Amino acid sequence: MSRTRTIRLKVNGVERVVEVKPNETLLHVLRDKLHVKSVKAACWRGECGLCTVLMNGEPVKSCLVLAVEADGAEILTVEGLAPFGTLAPIQKSFIEHTAFQCGFCTPAFILTAHYILTKNPDATEEEIKEYLNALICRCTGYKQIIDAIKDAAKYYKK
Amino acid sequence: MPAPIIVYPKLLPEFEYFRPSTLDEALELLNKHAGEAAILAGGTDLLVDMRLRIKRPKYVIDIKGIKELHKVEYEEGVGITIGATVTLNELLRNRVIREKYHVLWDAMRQMCDYHLRNRATLIGNICNASPAADSAPALLILNAKVNIASAEGTRTVDIKDFFTWVKKTVLKPNELVTSVFIPEPPKGSKGKYYKVVRSVEDLALVGVAGLVANPKVPSERIVRLAYASVAPTPVRVFEVEELFKQDKPISELIDKAVELVLKRLSPISDVRATKEYRLHMIDIGTRLVLKELLKG
Repeated sequence: MSRTRTIRLKVNGVERVVEVKPNETLLHVLRDKLHVKSVKAACWRGECGLCTVLMNGEPVKSCLVLAVEADGAEILTVEGLAPFGTLAPIQKSFIEHTAFQCGFCTPAFILTAHYILTKNPDATEEEIKEYLNALICRCTGYKQIIDAIKDAAKYYKK
Repeated sequence: MPAPIIVYPKLLPEFEYFRPSTLDEALELLNKHAGEAAILAGGTDLLVDMRLRIKRPKYVIDIKGIKELHKVEYEEGVGITIGATVTLNELLRNRVIREKYHVLWDAMRQMCDYHLRNRATLIGNICNASPAADSAPALLILNAKVNIASAEGTRTVDIKDFFTWVKKTVLKPNELVTSVFIPEPPKGSKGKYYKVVRSVEDLALVGVAGLVANPKVPSERIVRLAYASVAPTPVRVFEVEELFKQDKPISELIDKAVELVLKRLSPISDVRATKEYRLHMIDIGTRLVLKELLKG
């Protein structure tokens, strides 16, 4: 039972081939097999949202996606937002606004922010909040995060 | 007493995974492994239950590879059919649902959060059969029909007969829901879902769905109400429907309706709210929904 199978993922633009068992989630495979450590593991039940990745362009909670379900998918994490050693504008904006304290939730917020602004750089504060409902920050509070996102919108306007 | 610290194991219980590409293939697998198999669509309920060891299916049948289950078809004047793998976000982007089936749209809008709605499906919400299922009251007042298939054939069940108890439905172990059909709602009808919550992403403490048409003409007035989180299953309170045909002041009819509703519902006290608070919010929610929809 529980045969191992081979799946293909394009993680941050790089083709990865990995052996997985059906009971391994995408979160588990990203962190423990592909060493993508920005994807955080916390609640394991879809509540905190800190394991968010963009799967085929849409934000999903990777603790509730089986790795086998993601076969063939494109996965984007914060490691893929800018070349190694540099920061994307949204990341700089989070720094400028001190939009984090412990930093544990930051990758999920930055990815979600990147998704919101790519989709709609004119998103209102209400719309931004609607997306951020998916994520939990337990130290900063959300004001600085929302300020950082609103401020970064200018970089997404063409 | 402090709450115990629960450590969730990284791995789910072991199972064999299938991803059939046709419905026949899925039904055959389900028939063969009936009682030991679980259907996987969005996974936002199933994988949580498996993580918590509430469910330990030996076989998981992922139906997202079946093309015919991923469609939404609307025929004007007839109704809309929503396939089993269509996600909540896909439905929220659908203009027909937003305009004509507004009560359903309003309920889905308030379900979980954006990221989860990218995976979670409408059919999954009813198959999970939580008393708190937000889409259920809307489907109840829209007279939805549930299309069910098994290796032996197909059948259609009225949504009001679909839920049997907390987390229980009429589905047999070898059956799955392929789609729901929602007939064209009454002409000019408006709908609203009022959800009482502690925080936006939480389950409903009380959910009130209302649909109203022709509010100004008593004899043609249609008023329907259904509720989540107030009984072992989602409930439509049919008793109020005749009441609103009476040519009496609206405020009087609303008072009477609230009285009937409170008599009919049986909320419990649990971790989210007490029975008394739920009864209070049923009263408030029912008035709020009716007042808004009946003002015409």
